[in-house]
Amino acid sequence: MAATAAPRSPATIAPAPPTLAVPLPLAGLLARAVVAGLVAAAVLVPPLLAGSVWQQRIALAAIYAVIGLSVNVLTGHAGQISLGHQAFVGIGAFTSAYLSFRLAAGFPVAVLVAAATGAALAGVLGLAALRIRGLYLALVTLAFGLTAETTLFNWRAFTGGGAGAEAPRPALVGTDLRYSYLCLAVLGLVLLLDWRLVRTKAGRAFVVLRGDERVAATLGVNVTGYKLLAFVLSGLLAGLAGALFAHWSQVVQALDFDFQIALVWVVMAVVGGLRSRAGVVLASAFFALLPTVLPELLTASPVQPPFLNEAVYHVLPPFVAVVLLLLTLILVPGGVGQLLLPVRRWLAGGRLRTGRSAPQAGDGG
Amino acid sequence: MTGLLEVRALSLRFGGLQVLDAVDLDLPEGMVVGLIGPNGAGKTSLFNCLTGSYRPQQGTVRFRGRDISGLPTHRRAALGIARTWQNLGVVGGLTVADNVLLARHQHAGYHALAGLLGLPGTGRRERELRRDTEEVLDYLDLRQYAAEPVDGLPYGIQKRCDLAMALATDPELLLLDEPSSGMGPEEAHQLGATLAELTGQLRLTVLMIEHHVPLVVAICDYVYVLNVGQLLAQGEPAKIQQHPDVVAAYLGEPDGAA
Repeated sequence: MAATAAPRSPATIAPAPPTLAVPLPLAGLLARAVVAGLVAAAVLVPPLLAGSVWQQRIALAAIYAVIGLSVNVLTGHAGQISLGHQAFVGIGAFTSAYLSFRLAAGFPVAVLVAAATGAALAGVLGLAALRIRGLYLALVTLAFGLTAETTLFNWRAFTGGGAGAEAPRPALVGTDLRYSYLCLAVLGLVLLLDWRLVRTKAGRAFVVLRGDERVAATLGVNVTGYKLLAFVLSGLLAGLAGALFAHWSQVVQALDFDFQIALVWVVMAVVGGLRSRAGVVLASAFFALLPTVLPELLTASPVQPPFLNEAVYHVLPPFVAVVLLLLTLILVPGGVGQLLLPVRRWLAGGRLRTGRSAPQAGDGG
Repeated sequence: MTGLLEVRALSLRFGGLQVLDAVDLDLPEGMVVGLIGPNGAGKTSLFNCLTGSYRPQQGTVRFRGRDISGLPTHRRAALGIARTWQNLGVVGGLTVADNVLLARHQHAGYHALAGLLGLPGTGRRERELRRDTEEVLDYLDLRQYAAEPVDGLPYGIQKRCDLAMALATDPELLLLDEPSSGMGPEEAHQLGATLAELTGQLRLTVLMIEHHVPLVVAICDYVYVLNVGQLLAQGEPAKIQQHPDVVAAYLGEPDGAA
């Protein structure tokens, strides 16, 4: 859980802050250990205390966080936009459902093949998208997502058409409690992978590639290769999240993967703060819960404004998403990650406040 | 003396604009060669053709006798061709040390996926890469700025960081695009000393675009003069300074046709 507790600054890949050279006093070390422990507890304990409904919600939040990190690989690390992520998540969901229900494959096999399928599909899009960027890339990914949605996801033999495809859970993770822990564990692994990515060769190649492709190439970075890697890796995580989603909902339909949802996934990565793991996870969890929790809260509130009713509450979430996106872009371009920066610095052994302003995080992808 | 780089009949057009016109150029190994010419002469475009950023319509580029005209940029970097940038190739927001670490990319010694999975050996290689980085920083007197974000530093230091990145790729051929631009005479003089030391110790071959004539005269063994895409003259720096065509190209024709 260390990765959740102490995410690294979005914009730097510094080995360690220089402040670490001075050993912390015991009290400081203890305080930080307590905070890290509390964060771990805040993630791990709630499923135990919650009922089935919230166990399901926690699982969905973890699945969304994996999707957020998948978008983050492509948009945050490699600087490529994708408005067609529902294609990769969807193909993962339907593949896992098909394998486990129709072909009676084991759960781990179904999930892994689903992840590989997501990677392969993203690789195909990546190959097509290698030579374009910016607005045109956005358009191509958008068209790709819409095409997948209307063709692949409506292929009756594969997806069950309108009735949807069944995706049973194996007994080992059959309960909502166990399934929520499975999703949290997968999220932990994905966080670890992202942490490794940023600290090694591939992450550094992405940093320079994002800045200037010509400079990257003269430093020996195979620009097309690394762009393709970003697509494949992003598709892998998206396919994985799709498989988890399929067995979470236990029935998947083409409607689950429409264009709007792909927009929400991009928004949550940006609001979370591109390249900030903790920020992306928090924002993804928020957007996972928003459509169910917001109407619930408003309906339950004692004061009901005359012009609002339950029907309106259910169309509020997209509105909230857009407002949050605007607020982020205008006020905190680094997203939640930027707001978390002082905490992160403190956990890493620095001071909570420093004279220097926070490094710039998101460049908007 | 063997030729490290051989350029033959290189021509580059952008639409109707002839940027380079049948340029021939030779770089013997270990030499420091200057490339001068007025603005718009095609000097930086020539660099871009050598590194593979631009694809010339005609001509060949040979490196150590091998035709590299069709190779992509990163493969040429792997052969040992590095460059600096007129308007800097540093990544803003990163520290000087991190910028130099980026530039060690091709010497990482492990596959990108191995690093991702944390396979054995990658951790050790990462520590070695950081040591390499410190070595390059020491070499260019950048140690004191190692932990500073590069975009907050004076321009001269940023230029040195750019040079450090090029050196960190372990090049055999170094292409310098106006290394002294934005520097005062004092700094330019110091740069000249550094470059002389580099070529002496690392046995690098250098091709440099430079406007600062005293620097060219001080450290270049040979000079090519480019004007509107064509080679105007070549020779030893002292002779080039006197060359009537060069004087005309720089100062305008005597009859007033600028």
